[in-house]
Amino acid sequence: MDTLHIIVITILKTAIYFGILMLHVAYATYAERKVIGHIQLRLGPMVVGPHGLLQPIADVVKLIFKEDVIPIKVDRTIFKVAPLISLTAALSTFAVIPVNKNWVIADINVGLLYVIGIAGIGTYGIIFAGWSSNSKYAFLGGLRSAAQMISYEVALGLSLVGVILMAESFNLTEIVNKQSEYWYGMFLFPQIIGYFVFVVAMLAETNRLPFDLPEAETELVAGYFVEYSGIRFSLFYLAEYLAMFCMSALATICFWGGWTIPPILIKNLPFLEFVPGVVWFLLKVYFHIFLFFWLRGTLPRYRYDQLMAIGWKILIPLALVNIMITSIFKYYS
Amino acid sequence: MRVRDIIDKIFLIEIFKGLLLTLKMLFSKSVTIQYPFERRKIHDGFRGKHALVRDPFTGDGKCIGCMRCTTVCPSRCIYIKREKTENRMVVTDYVIDASRCIFCAYCVEACPVCALVLTEDFEYSSYTRKSLIFDKEQLLKNWDEFVSKWPHDFYFNKFWQPPGIDPSRWPKTKREQKPIPIKRVIEIEKEKDE
Ligand code: SF4
Ligand code: SF4
Repeated sequence: MDTLHIIVITILKTAIYFGILMLHVAYATYAERKVIGHIQLRLGPMVVGPHGLLQPIADVVKLIFKEDVIPIKVDRTIFKVAPLISLTAALSTFAVIPVNKNWVIADINVGLLYVIGIAGIGTYGIIFAGWSSNSKYAFLGGLRSAAQMISYEVALGLSLVGVILMAESFNLTEIVNKQSEYWYGMFLFPQIIGYFVFVVAMLAETNRLPFDLPEAETELVAGYFVEYSGIRFSLFYLAEYLAMFCMSALATICFWGGWTIPPILIKNLPFLEFVPGVVWFLLKVYFHIFLFFWLRGTLPRYRYDQLMAIGWKILIPLALVNIMITSIFKYYS
Repeated sequence: MRVRDIIDKIFLIEIFKGLLLTLKMLFSKSVTIQYPFERRKIHDGFRGKHALVRDPFTGDGKCIGCMRCTTVCPSRCIYIKREKTENRMVVTDYVIDASRCIFCAYCVEACPVCALVLTEDFEYSSYTRKSLIFDKEQLLKNWDEFVSKWPHDFYFNKFWQPPGIDPSRWPKTKREQKPIPIKRVIEIEKEKDE
């Protein structure tokens, strides 16, 4: 009975999370178009609904009803499975992400490892898509993605080691709790190098500009999803945006103190205590999402060898130095 | 200077400068004109859809078939069919292939009798090429359509009297060209009906 209870509750929670996530993704696409538009002195979507607010819904309807073309010479099974792999991987990461005190689907001890591991699985979807499309461009896109993921996964993992050392735990809730013990309430300040490495690696992990080389419209048409259309294409899109949210949430939890705010702020402005934690959490996540858009609107795409050079020659050494410094401090205090 | 460069590089000063610039742009006013809902003012001498001026007195085109427009057209998209009847040149058909036109308005400038205009109508895209090949009837119809929306009582196209050439060298009809009364067309037609 007790097990059944837990299962039912978990399914319900998952459904609610899923719905909220989908809404977020839909409106992230809208926000992106608006932000990039205004950066370029355009308006972005304006026609559907007031200020184009219903645009994402119209887009979804369009994508669902669009013809789903599968080219003849593709490997059909893998072609169909690939977007699902990416999507499932992106969705599963949210299982361990706490949005507020005890608001989490699965509070597991190796949460951080789980997130990084699962996020890497998304690459399989991309490689499969590239390979099964039976097209040079798609294949090159897939290969690039694989190389990029492997290089940046290392940097991403290493950048979080500092956090793990300071929190002495892999559990995401624990990491947040540990941060609120300090008066500044965030690992951002002692871990600024780690945060920098994390942000760069997170851009590369999610294939966002300036590191969107697997897609690279100018050289590879659209990279791994050239042959996809309609709803299948949108699944990749969904996965990409989910990955963005996942990485933003991770950055929030590991460096920005999750749903807490610095204790010193609460001390000086006591009324802030009554704001629910989820608000702070979402604000921090939205800031990171905005950072994604902002960087996209600012920076040009890197060349492929530059991308690799940044990963291996700058980010990984930086992360290692960060680990060393953190360990030394930890040892002597 | 070198130290400065190194500091710039380490702290990514240039990237932050760029980010600041885009942030500033984000909050500045956008320049978009939302086209189907908002329109910008069309300037004098805008070169749009072709039309043959309907003579308010005869109800027909004013073209005399002198072939000057055909000769001057750089993309060779004007075709004129004419016949000699009773020692007079009669234009039987006049075709402009608007899909090849570059809207230079040379034809309008060259015409000695001010028979041709490029109207201010620019919304005539279509799915077929054929509908962009205007024959004489269509060109006259274009004129009627354009004139029916024209807000003023008179129409004068500034290319009819091209600047830069001494007016004494213009053909007489061109020199004497007055703004065409538009309401007249309607009045005359009414008189005819009665
Ligand atoms: S506008 Fe220029 S290209 Fe077009 S028909 Fe006239 S002369 Fe020819
Ligand atoms: S130049 Fe004028 S009158 Fe001569 S053929 Fe062309 S439209 Fe007719």
